[in-house]
Amino acid sequence: MTQRFHCTACGKCCYGQLPLTVNDAFKHADRFPLAMVWTPLRQGGKDFATVSQLGATIKLANRKELAVLIVPTAYIPPSFPCPALAADNLCGIHADKPSRCRTMPFYPYRQEQFQAELLKPQPGWACDTSESAPLVFADKKILFREDFDAERQELEEQIPQIRRYADYMLKYTPQLVDNLAKVSLKPKGGQVVTSLSSFLTAIRHPNAQQIARQQLPVLNSYVEETASESSLVEYHRHYLSGAKEMQYLAQQAR
Amino acid sequence: MTLCPCGSKLDYAECCGPIIDGALAPTAEALMRSRYTAFVQRKLDHIERTHAPEIKDDFNRAEAERMAEECEWRSLEIRNATETGDTAQVEFTIKFRRDKQDRVQTELASFRRENGEWLYVSGDLNPKVTQRVVSKVGRNDPCPCGSGKKAKKCCGTTTELEQE
Repeated sequence: MTQRFHCTACGKCCYGQLPLTVNDAFKHADRFPLAMVWTPLRQGGKDFATVSQLGATIKLANRKELAVLIVPTAYIPPSFPCPALAADNLCGIHADKPSRCRTMPFYPYRQEQFQAELLKPQPGWACDTSESAPLVFADKKILFREDFDAERQELEEQIPQIRRYADYMLKYTPQLVDNLAKVSLKPKGGQVVTSLSSFLTAIRHPNAQQIARQQLPVLNSYVEETASESSLVEYHRHYLSGAKEMQYLAQQAR
Repeated sequence: MTLCPCGSKLDYAECCGPIIDGALAPTAEALMRSRYTAFVQRKLDHIERTHAPEIKDDFNRAEAERMAEECEWRSLEIRNATETGDTAQVEFTIKFRRDKQDRVQTELASFRRENGEWLYVSGDLNPKVTQRVVSKVGRNDPCPCGSGKKAKKCCGTTTELEQE
């Protein structure tokens, strides 16, 4: 397994869904179409403990448990580039980019000792993992760890908010458990998407109106961009309902 | 007259209308009916106003507004209603159409009376089906639809309600 890595700035990992910390999600609310993405993991998976800690643990009817990551997400179709990706394939907001992008290719939603496999480039990516690339991972430790630690710390600090959201959703939409159980049985795993408005309500966001005003034009533009593509109907529907809800919140005088 | 959307066969102005406008609901069932009617009419202030204090901040009004807009409301059926002092439970089934699909949802809702005002406390979606309780209703008994009127003046009337 390769332990060397150098980013060649090919821009290929800047496509599709992007998990965000709560802080990054709100900071970039004028940029990304946001959704809450729930990814369940069955018992026995090696990430179970970490996912339980950062997300929530849900009891199923058959006495089994699911660990669920609940992540504010830039909810973008896999074929769509990040809205901040510039024409030269470089990040248009490099100095301000989300911690998820900074930490790539490492991924602090998983224990440090399992990070080596994340260095393997996805098909089509142009990451340099040759002998000339710098050593970045050794003895199950990340060598340049500032970004990894910063993202991990943010994830730990937001646990109370994520738990509060999980409790809220399970109380008011108990059918969510069945949906999570169902997608957890898919061979490659799956996800359930819930609305930003539910998260704003659950955590009592003090300035939901401002977030809504930032989200509204973003969602409306994604509504348009996904209108004619039948394979994007799920995304289209999400943007449409999100826009309606943000429209309501944006108008409220609170 | 305008038939009340709640299905009571009463005039809206004699049924949910006044409650939505702020009058006290005489029974938990009457409040339940008015909340359904408020959804039909997209008057969600009434929904928000009749939540118990402990769930007020949990109300996702933006989502509720969207649902009220997206759903075509078909009917409300009260399956059972029990009041014990200042607490009550109402089991009801609503039919509506959304995303081009007909949907049916049953809920067992709990209510509490505070300072004479009935408030919605919680709801259990699709509870285990309880047998519908049918008892004989005397002509002078309160009408089982929860309107607060005598049965003979309400659902038990032998004269057809005038249309228009």
